[in-house]
Amino acid sequence: MTQISRLSRTDWFGPLLATIIAIVVIRAFSANFLSSFNIQILLLAIAVNALVAYSQMIIIAIGQMNLSVGAIGGLAAISFVGMIEVWGIPAPLAVILALAIGVGCGVINGVLIRITGISAFVITLATLSIFKGINLGITEAQPFYGVPDSVKAFGSALVFGPIPWLVVPTVLVAVGLWFMLSRMPVGRFILAVGSNEHAAGLSGISVGATVIIAHGISGLLAAIAGVLVVARLQIGQPSIGDDWLILSFAAPVIGGAILAGGHVSVSATFLGVVIVAIITQALVLFNIDPFLVQVVLGALILAAVGLNKLRARAPIGQGT
Amino acid sequence: MTDSTPIFQARAIEKAFPGVMALSGVDMTLHSGSIHALLGENGAGKSTLIKVITGVHAPTAGTLLLDGEQVSFANPRDAIVQGIGVVHQERNLFPRFSIAENIHLEQLAGGLIKPIDYKELNENARPWLRALDLDIDPATPVSELSVARMQLVEIAKALSLQSRVLLLDEPTASLTSSETDRLFTILRRLRDSGTSLVFVSHKLEEVQEICDRVTVLRDGANACDSQPMQGVGRQDLVRMMIGRAEGTASWRASDTSTHPEVLGLSDVSTTLGHKGINLSVRKGEVVGLYGLVGAGRTELAKAIMGKFALTGGTVAINGAPVTIPNVAAAIHDHGLGYISEDRKNEGLILQHSVLSNVGVPIWRKLAGRFGTLFDRDIRKAALPYLQKLEVKTPSLSQTVANLSGGNQQKISVAKWLAAGVQFLIVDEPSVGIDIKTKAYLHELLRDLADQGTAILVISSDMPEMIALADRIAVMDDYRIMGEIANTGKYDEIAPAIMALIHDSVAPAA
Repeated sequence: MTQISRLSRTDWFGPLLATIIAIVVIRAFSANFLSSFNIQILLLAIAVNALVAYSQMIIIAIGQMNLSVGAIGGLAAISFVGMIEVWGIPAPLAVILALAIGVGCGVINGVLIRITGISAFVITLATLSIFKGINLGITEAQPFYGVPDSVKAFGSALVFGPIPWLVVPTVLVAVGLWFMLSRMPVGRFILAVGSNEHAAGLSGISVGATVIIAHGISGLLAAIAGVLVVARLQIGQPSIGDDWLILSFAAPVIGGAILAGGHVSVSATFLGVVIVAIITQALVLFNIDPFLVQVVLGALILAAVGLNKLRARAPIGQGT
Repeated sequence: MTDSTPIFQARAIEKAFPGVMALSGVDMTLHSGSIHALLGENGAGKSTLIKVITGVHAPTAGTLLLDGEQVSFANPRDAIVQGIGVVHQERNLFPRFSIAENIHLEQLAGGLIKPIDYKELNENARPWLRALDLDIDPATPVSELSVARMQLVEIAKALSLQSRVLLLDEPTASLTSSETDRLFTILRRLRDSGTSLVFVSHKLEEVQEICDRVTVLRDGANACDSQPMQGVGRQDLVRMMIGRAEGTASWRASDTSTHPEVLGLSDVSTTLGHKGINLSVRKGEVVGLYGLVGAGRTELAKAIMGKFALTGGTVAINGAPVTIPNVAAAIHDHGLGYISEDRKNEGLILQHSVLSNVGVPIWRKLAGRFGTLFDRDIRKAALPYLQKLEVKTPSLSQTVANLSGGNQQKISVAKWLAAGVQFLIVDEPSVGIDIKTKAYLHELLRDLADQGTAILVISSDMPEMIALADRIAVMDDYRIMGEIANTGKYDEIAPAIMALIHDSVAPAA
């Protein structure tokens, strides 16, 4: 009994249970659900969406939010293809430059937040518009088609079975993030700043540097997601990233993240992404209007926030 | 031991903030193996001095000497590295981190990506916990600890940084008396092992019990500089702090036994665990509700106000039994008011103006036919009370957060006066208020009572209780242990109160 109650306190237990139930139920209604092809589609969606969610999660960890996640991902994506098409530079170099652009955008967010002392909400709302505007200025809202064959090949290649190569960067990022947040000082500082910024400062942690690093990481992850989308779509769409915002919050929140900061879970956020992907997939399989996905996402966020609140009450009751 | 060479000296420290001279030429000399009291009223500059010593603020002028050599701290980390530790008044821990990590976070700040060895971290934390008699697994998350233990973890953290100078800002503010005793035992042990401690507190009894030297600040300057505590009496300390002797004997007998009862509780129990509560407050009477932290006093007050549900017994107002479904009904229908001990979070809306803070409870009454409100009406209703309480504010549109603690407290009283309450609960009226304002506040509450308001004062400050109340009800473990008619004589009443509490504690312990 105590075993179960301890399990139920972990962030990943609830989402894992929900994932398993969802898989079993959907499989019962649709034999196609666990077909090799379907699993591949699911994994492709999860690979990108997990990076988007992590990009937001790292900012949630410091108790802020980043509305410009999609705009950064989109700018990195079109820069990536644009540099190859217009300047003819090799793809690996273009990847590095695109990721550098992502880091740069994130650092700009972080520096602006620290210098001005204005809330991250307002700053990233402004930079969302700026980054998106630069994107549209460069592309004039027309896609870049010059995606090289090597990139296209990477986007559709399989490691083995139904597992696409696209999931490899995501898995590496997830493991790296987990290690950073649980075992590396910089990750602990990010959580400490999110938990109590004032106390973190008094403990000798440089709050400014920590915030800027977190935003830099956020930008990097958004850029990786953008590049992966290009490899998957095989086209440099200016609209990449436009629909990332809600998902970026949904997955960490389903994974038990506290929006006030100081607590996030890499594994549970991943499960959050999986749940969203499965439900989206199910709506397609059952021929349900895809616009309902938005409604379902919203409902999931509400349910997750409600559950987190209930959970927070039980174990860490300080009493008043 | 006190005549050893000074370990730390602050000389002629000045600190100017825009428009304010917070410190002007302050000196303090600390010796190792000593507990040094730093006293002063709110706004006297204690916190600023602590912040200068610990590297949070850079001094505008003056020098800091460590072991006789001049030092300067660019940030808190600099001070920590040099062996100056501090436990701030507010808790500075990360609840979800383990005890060991909280203690050692500082040492990790050296590198950003070197992996953390938690096993080593736990092992390193153990001796510091042992030194403080804390028998807990260092891997325990801090969120599972009591407030007192969290405080000890912070002390462990400061000690682990090899602090030779340790500043404690109001460490006993949220501790019960037995926890305070345990803390003092530990502080004495630290002193005996050579640490130089600085103890900041408003509670002079504690200061006299544990400190061997004292520095008093008044208006940003030394009222006394590092003087031995021996031969300094309570009255001397008070005189140095406020520049005159403490106003004594504010208690006066008043016979209210014939007055009609305003609030009567009989055999009340609540969902929070109160049982068999009988309490009566008459018109014009000040009844004290004494008890230690956690005795259930604030909870009872909130239950009376309709915040928590009753499970049994009756509440009578002016003799008629009533049920109070919520706080709005308590205020508007029954004329009850509650001044919270937590002024900043529960009592006032700090970002709002003086006028709108006082106006909150009367908005409903003043609203016009279409729910319209005019500042003119609110001002007319609120101003007399603000003037009566002598609230010092540049204007009624001043933001409350910019006023002093004393003035904030006056505004929370004025708010209920404006609402025209007949019964007022005042919870820990003098928390965070200096001695001068405290005496004034006591007078104010007595005057209110004399004019017919029934008042219930909740306090764990015994001198305050004895100075203020007509009768004192003693609460422990969510029950009323007994009631004492106050005579105003500390030597008689204090032991009687303690007897009521300890008779109930003894069998349990």
